[in-house]
Amino acid sequence: MVRLLKVRGSSLWPDFREGDYVLAADVPFPAGKIKTGDVIVFQQPGYGTLLKRVHRVLEGGQFFEVRGTQIASTDSRNFGAVPRKRVHSKVIWHIRNHSDRKN
Amino acid sequence: MLHKIARKIDQHNPVEVVDAHCDIPCGIYDPHLALIGALTVIRMIDLIDGLVEAHSDTIDAEYLNSMARYVAVKEEHAELTKHEIRVIWGDFIKDQHIESYPQLSGLVHKILQLGSKARQTVDRESGVALLEAVNEFAEIFWQIKGKETKRVAAPFPVTDEIVVPLL
Repeated sequence: MVRLLKVRGSSLWPDFREGDYVLAADVPFPAGKIKTGDVIVFQQPGYGTLLKRVHRVLEGGQFFEVRGTQIASTDSRNFGAVPRKRVHSKVIWHIRNHSDRKN
Repeated sequence: MLHKIARKIDQHNPVEVVDAHCDIPCGIYDPHLALIGALTVIRMIDLIDGLVEAHSDTIDAEYLNSMARYVAVKEEHAELTKHEIRVIWGDFIKDQHIESYPQLSGLVHKILQLGSKARQTVDRESGVALLEAVNEFAEIFWQIKGKETKRVAAPFPVTDEIVVPLL
């Protein structure tokens, strides 16, 4: 299944900005494995539903080290690797809010 | 175009929000204390000037005690202003804010320098310049928060204008 989701926060700025939308395909999905560079949606206890980029795939795809783009981003440096079972979906389409961007 | 369609869908049937958080901020930031600090600097300079005038012939224990207190409070509040601005700058302001307000970096640097000047001297003009720079910072801060502001005369012995949000 593919879901429409709305981005909040600036951890992945400037790639993803507050108010952008994404289409995310549920995991497991037919498009293949999650790989480095993919942006995934996952549940993180204490943090809620998060959107982060995969920095490294660990243990044959059982865990994912995720990162934001900002020094202050909350990511695997804070809460460790994300187990596959907590990954909901992978972003397959990014709908940018062009009206909010400068040339 | 696609974003417009997505927004329409979101308006009619709100979609799930995914967080791309940074730190876990307290979320409570306000330049008010920085303004109070700058106003206090001006007030202390006025008190220092008044004391010098009143004791032009005598330097006694009372004079020294009062002068020491005024200078100490001026030091403390100049530093308070610098501290508050540094915290908002470091914890609240993000890259996208600097992109939207490219003058912010220079403005923060100016406040920190004027804060030091306020400690080094009893120059009232520098104190007023510090307050004005913090007012400009406060206006940008509240714009980022989506709040309008207005300038009002401070209801204190120093009545210079301060920026307040219309909450």
